[in-house]
Amino acid sequence: MPADDRIDGYAAAILEVARAEEQLERVGDELFRIARAFEASNPLREALTDPRIPVERKMGVIDDLLGTKTSPLTVNLVGFVVSAGRASDLPAIADRVAERAANARDKAVAEVRTAVELDEATIARLTTALNKATGKDVEVKVVVDPTVIGGVVARVGDLVIDGTVSHRLEQLRETLNQR
Amino acid sequence: MHLLAPIRLLAQVTEEPTTEPSGIDLLLPASSELIAGLIAFAIIFVFVWKWVLPVVDKRLAARQEAITSQLTAAEATKLEAESLLADYKQQVARARDDANRIVDEARQAADALRTDSVSKADAEAVEIVRKAREEAAGERQRAAGAIRDEVAALSLAVAEKAMAGAVDAKAHQKLVEQYIAELGALRP
Repeated sequence: MPADDRIDGYAAAILEVARAEEQLERVGDELFRIARAFEASNPLREALTDPRIPVERKMGVIDDLLGTKTSPLTVNLVGFVVSAGRASDLPAIADRVAERAANARDKAVAEVRTAVELDEATIARLTTALNKATGKDVEVKVVVDPTVIGGVVARVGDLVIDGTVSHRLEQLRETLNQR
Repeated sequence: MHLLAPIRLLAQVTEEPTTEPSGIDLLLPASSELIAGLIAFAIIFVFVWKWVLPVVDKRLAARQEAITSQLTAAEATKLEAESLLADYKQQVARARDDANRIVDEARQAADALRTDSVSKADAEAVEIVRKAREEAAGERQRAAGAIRDEVAALSLAVAEKAMAGAVDAKAHQKLVEQYIAELGALRP
């Protein structure tokens, strides 16, 4: 089975379970955050994807990390993906779940990366600005990423609007290299 | 002696006891001597005319013929020698011309070779200088590029560190507000 179809299949299954448990929004949000943490942490990624590590131990890692911070349903769904040996697909599955969940609410997911946490008021104004800029009703999901140094980068589908300091430094690097 | 005997006899007959001669008679011979002399002359003349002259003429003719033949042969030899000399001179002139031509050709070939060699050497020298200049320019550009990249990387690394330390909560908030303002200027 092609990887894209497999990811779609897992996302659809998780979406149906979350919808049946009436926790679609929460599960979608938590999965999105877990996926970002998975991408950012090499030790976590290695622990969950290493085939030499037993599934029970991987499940123990998930419980230790998520047990008290996320809903049991989300923990179980993450455990389901990891025990199936698809931990490496977890970010893509989480993105697809968030996208489908947002679509179910006639919204588009806007992944927003900043160096620091944003307060609710700022997120609300950012959401309004993104709605106007993209012409879509977006659902903002904030990811704290210190590598952006400062500013904001938003990705809505294929559209990326980058206003980060790291992006400006990269542009400066390219300009210097071209001269 | 046999031929002179009648002449002597005739002289004795005619000789008469005479008086002693004088005057012109001292100069003129005696008649007997004159006659004897004429006869002797005639005999000698006839002898010479009859036997000696033909022999002499024959020998002279032979001699003349031989000389003529020799002169003719000499003339032919002379002509032949002149012809040979002319041929020789012609050959010498031709050989000289050939030698001059060969020397000229050799000189021209040497000149052409020298000119060609000089031209090739000049072209090679120009090419070597051009390549050296290109390589030097390329090396200079590569060095400048490497230095520029290094300076850019260092500058950006310094800038990143400076920015990471300089962006506080207030600056973050300002950057976010600026981003929201810029989003407002965008159109879908």
